[in-house]
Amino acid sequence: MTLLSLQDLRVTIATPEGPATLLDGVSFDLAAGEQLGIVGESGCGKSMTALAVMGLLPAAARAEGHVIFEGKNLLALDEDALCQIRGRRIAMVFQEPMTALNPVKTIGDQVAEGLRWHMGLGRGEAETRAVKLLDRVGLPQPRFAPGLYPHQLSGGQRQRVVIAIALACDPAVLIADEPTTALDVTSQAEILDLLADVTAEARMALMLITHDLAVVWQNTASMLVMYAGCVVERGTTAAVFERMAHPYTRGLLAASPHALDRALPAGRRLATIPGRVPDPQHRPQGCVFAGRCSRAAPDCLPGPPAERALEDGHRVACLHPHGAELPA
Amino acid sequence: MSSETQTSALREYWQRGRGQANLMIGLAVTLTLVAVALVSLVWTPYTVSAIDIPGKLQPPSADHWLGTDQFGRDVLSRIMAGAVNSIAVSLVAVGIGAGIGVPLGALAAARRGLVEEVVMRFNDFTFAFPALLSAVMITALFGPGAINAIIAIGIFNIPVFARLTRAAALSLWKRDFVLAARVAGRGRTRITIDHILPNIASLLIVQMTIQFALAILAEAGLSYLGLGTQPPNPSWGKMLNEAQTLMFIAPQLAVFPGLAIMVTVLGLNLLGDGLRDLLDPRLRRLR
Ligand SMILES: Nc1ncnc2c1ncn2[C@@H]1O[C@H](COP(=O)(O)OP(=O)(O)OP(=O)(O)O)[C@@H](O)[C@H]1O
Ligand code: SF4
Ligand SMILES: [Mg+2]
Repeated sequence: MTLLSLQDLRVTIATPEGPATLLDGVSFDLAAGEQLGIVGESGCGKSMTALAVMGLLPAAARAEGHVIFEGKNLLALDEDALCQIRGRRIAMVFQEPMTALNPVKTIGDQVAEGLRWHMGLGRGEAETRAVKLLDRVGLPQPRFAPGLYPHQLSGGQRQRVVIAIALACDPAVLIADEPTTALDVTSQAEILDLLADVTAEARMALMLITHDLAVVWQNTASMLVMYAGCVVERGTTAAVFERMAHPYTRGLLAASPHALDRALPAGRRLATIPGRVPDPQHRPQGCVFAGRCSRAAPDCLPGPPAERALEDGHRVACLHPHGAELPA
Repeated sequence: MSSETQTSALREYWQRGRGQANLMIGLAVTLTLVAVALVSLVWTPYTVSAIDIPGKLQPPSADHWLGTDQFGRDVLSRIMAGAVNSIAVSLVAVGIGAGIGVPLGALAAARRGLVEEVVMRFNDFTFAFPALLSAVMITALFGPGAINAIIAIGIFNIPVFARLTRAAALSLWKRDFVLAARVAGRGRTRITIDHILPNIASLLIVQMTIQFALAILAEAGLSYLGLGTQPPNPSWGKMLNEAQTLMFIAPQLAVFPGLAIMVTVLGLNLLGDGLRDLLDPRLRRLR
């Protein structure tokens, strides 16, 4: 059952150099309990997608299209209605646990806050629940008393607090925007396991945003590859990794760190991607990747390539995808 | 959180604060001032406004520690009672300034756009006039007197607090934990109350001590000009004014209220400085 559906989401923002297109027709569906990975280079619009869902785009940005959640178009809701959904039905975890917590409030208060606000729990009840949640995310009593302040915890422990806050109201969707980028390797694996566990346990949909293909491979069932504000490839994680149809996806793999060597079959490594991402102010008319693509042909330039279906719901927005050497 | 953590936080502040000379001196001066003012409410060596013409212009002596003025009134008693006046005026004036300025600044930062523009232009308008000048204008408009002095000083405090609050709040609105609070479904007002204000409280407290010192100076200045506290109520500024013509006969009449103002302002500034160091969260984290 589709829980969250983005339909042709287009986000533009006014900049001193003119209007910039940050998201150009992003569409995808997220089903209840689905674990979806979104991967792409820095600046490709992953965070913008998440913020658009949250209704928290920068003030200068304009969003068009539809973000349908539980039958409502979030883009059309007012701030009050959005406040009822944020944190309650859709929660989010950020990249930087060192700054995502309020330095002057105790962790117990910060976890309890949502419970009191959204669920109307009393002070005592909220604190009891907060302690349970802290325990659930691996911060047991008495070592991690609710009276601790964020500065008394390590980065990994703080990220656990952030996850506890996100879980507090039992949301239907959890968006994790590069939740482990700021952490060391050991904590990274632990936090990802924790996210997978808690979301599976509550049949919560997980939108896992990352620039690391290995993270997608290990933690998600389906995935999107984004490039310059567009979804260029999508499908089950297994299918996308099996074929790697879009030239950009292959380039990403080549540029990704060694962690993949273990996770993937050999022979999947390629040279780094030459060239630069197009400016959001000056997007090319044709395929956004054409400037960097080794397979680019004249027919890639007149207009953006439509998405085409490969096998098993695997789709790619490319005229000359890998694995389709024979004309389709 | 629990009262236990609060007590231990207070104890921690005390441990660190004890070692800071400026904080301790400032605190001592301020507490002395408050104590003197409180005592004067129930007891002064002589009745504050009791006139004793034969005993006028006495130099300091065992009977009159700080001497008497041109009407034979005891200077020490008047300085003590003047402390009440200074504190009351400054407290209310800073209260007005912070009470209106902080919400305005917070609103401007939370709403941005047109609201911010209006608030800040209003601020610029008030700020454009030198503090004392605007106070003079207001008292000239509404007539001299302690209440109008309070309002005048209060009004020139508003933009100070509005600007400080807005600037500090704007930088906080960009912080991740505020975005996290928004993601958690908190509205702008709640975020301002729960996240923005607690994080700038220490900044505001420090600014308040400084504004308090400035307000004492301003009150003295206005009274000196005859626009503030009216006779026979004692005021340090008024005492200075009256001493002016007697400068060569009885210089002590100018010295003592002058000293009182100076020590108070210095003490409050030291206190503000000390609090700044004590409350700085970066220092707190280092421990
Ligand atoms: N306030 C803004 N004004 C103008 N452009 C912006 C603004 N915020 C972001 N952008 C641009 O939007 C694009 C997408 O940014 P986004 O934060 O979504 O990238 P991302 O995929 O999350 O990257 P990262 O992996 O670095 O987090 C970038 O090109 C960025 O420069
Ligand atoms: S459409 Fe053409 S330019 Fe774009 S990725 Fe495919 S081959 Fe490369
Ligand atoms: Mg991002």
